[in-house]
Amino acid sequence: MAVPTIVWVLLTNRRFVVGIALFLAVVLTGVIGPLLYPVDPLSFAGPMETPPCEKYPLGTDTYGRDVLAQLLVGTRTSLYVGFLTALIAMAIGTVIGAAAGVKGGLVDEALMAITNVTLSIPSILLAILIASYLKVRSLEVVAAILGITSWPWYARAIRAQLLSLREREFIYLSRMAGYSDLRLAFEDLLPNIATYIFMAMVLFINGGILGEAGLSIIGLGPTQGVSLGLMLQWATLMEAFRRGLWWWFVPPGVMIVAATSSLMIVSTAMDEVFNPRLRERG
Amino acid sequence: MVRLGPFARYLLMRAAFLLATYITAITIVFLLPRLIPGNPLALLLTQLYQQAQANPEAIKEVYKTLMEEFGVGKPLWEQYVDFLSHALRGDLGTSIAFYPRKVIELIAPAIPWTVGLLVPSTITAWIIGNTLGAIAGYRRGSYFEKTVLTVSLILSQTPYYWLAMLLVYIFAIKLNLFPAGGGYSYGLVPSLTPEFIADLLWHYTLPFLSIVLVAVGGWAIGMRVLVIYELGADYMVFSENLGVEERKLFRYAFRNSLLPQVTGLALSLGSVLGGQLITEIVFNYPGTGYILFRGLSTLDYPLIQGVFIILVATLFLANFIVDFIYALIDPRIRLGYAQA
Repeated sequence: MAVPTIVWVLLTNRRFVVGIALFLAVVLTGVIGPLLYPVDPLSFAGPMETPPCEKYPLGTDTYGRDVLAQLLVGTRTSLYVGFLTALIAMAIGTVIGAAAGVKGGLVDEALMAITNVTLSIPSILLAILIASYLKVRSLEVVAAILGITSWPWYARAIRAQLLSLREREFIYLSRMAGYSDLRLAFEDLLPNIATYIFMAMVLFINGGILGEAGLSIIGLGPTQGVSLGLMLQWATLMEAFRRGLWWWFVPPGVMIVAATSSLMIVSTAMDEVFNPRLRERG
Repeated sequence: MVRLGPFARYLLMRAAFLLATYITAITIVFLLPRLIPGNPLALLLTQLYQQAQANPEAIKEVYKTLMEEFGVGKPLWEQYVDFLSHALRGDLGTSIAFYPRKVIELIAPAIPWTVGLLVPSTITAWIIGNTLGAIAGYRRGSYFEKTVLTVSLILSQTPYYWLAMLLVYIFAIKLNLFPAGGGYSYGLVPSLTPEFIADLLWHYTLPFLSIVLVAVGGWAIGMRVLVIYELGADYMVFSENLGVEERKLFRYAFRNSLLPQVTGLALSLGSVLGGQLITEIVFNYPGTGYILFRGLSTLDYPLIQGVFIILVATLFLANFIVDFIYALIDPRIRLGYAQA
């Protein structure tokens, strides 16, 4: 009975519904969009810099390429990079944070020293430096660069959460019962911070999408294909925003904001529902 | 004096940590090109060498300087010691694209522009965001809270540089209210005249706004949650039941929630800086982002590395100042070290 109640509670939360609907719309745009509008996004076939019209719903760019076709494929690419970044960053962060939090002592000190040092160097700067040395950058390479440079805050947060839990009575009981560290981590500790982990995942996906766009604009994005970031890069190179070509630079930005903010809205709504400390009193 | 002890010790430890991190950052800069398969720096050298054989003396000079600075032929540890000692003395090598100018000469004039944009916008956003977030958290369920939260959620996830493009398009191109880019008008010479300062601020508005708007969102979201947590704390419920007046309750919650936000300041400076570099490119703002972009487009590795090292150093200096403020306002730091 528990699961339907939770689903019901979530579905009656307006913020959650709006957020999830918006995010699903973005995902569908990326997944199904290119199938419904099968135009080659990189074909130079069209006329130059045409505003939206019947034949080109979002116009064309300086190279005569269809902006709508770019947007659909670009959304797919950016979502992929976002998810992959989150996967990589969370794998590293969870292992390091949980090991430090559960083991404590010297392991903790050593891991946190590494984490704090990495954390102090801004991730996007490090990402720029690494990317500048790689001549060929596939989508996976871009995601790996973003993932490897962004895990530290998460490792530290996981550790902090675990440490605050460690002193609770139920943990003492489990320890007295002779549970292993691994069992302690997976049965007592991590479930307690599940919402927290979900929120972190949202931040990482968003970080991946925004990071890809950031790297792309300065010419360090994927070296092949189309992404929302690459669209912005081309628009920047051709000064689209100074020349009034709004149909070129506005759509990719709107799509990025739709994807990232809808995820944030979902995670905030879930936090309101699941986090007892955030529940409204009275 | 006794009470000052732990305080100074805390700051000393922070300084030592930041210095160690700084050396790590330099080490990363040193190792990266040498670890990546196909050594991009060596590749660049070969390219330059081939060009040099084609003709001019000039390229041979560049090649020779680079060979020396890169330490070709020397053992790795010697290269590292050279690199580190040069970097710590502020010698970041010679630019390739702007040969024979030193990297530090190229970056130095850009730093005031970047810091001048980063620090005021971050502080402004911190104040506005935290105030809005605190009020939103305190007035749970109100129309104000819902609006602040929704707007903040969207703003905080907007890329700075895209917002920058929108601002340029709307306020510079369509409405013609602000300049479309640059740090000051062509023909003006930087000076302390009212005319120049007015022109400077006029060019400053849009880049400043693009950063503040996004950053406000993040602070407001964080602060709202912190205040809600604080209001749920036992001491708050107790005070409320005691009949402590509302303004006082709000002040308690606000003060206690500000501490984590001060720590957050140090971290956020780094990510704001990252976004700002790209914003500078959109605005053609004469900061380090613009220098970095020129380095990237010509694959001027000494310049790229130099920007990285300088920015990390600037950031650490800022971090240390934040640490100092934090130690001043949090009595628990002194207490913690006194017990240890």
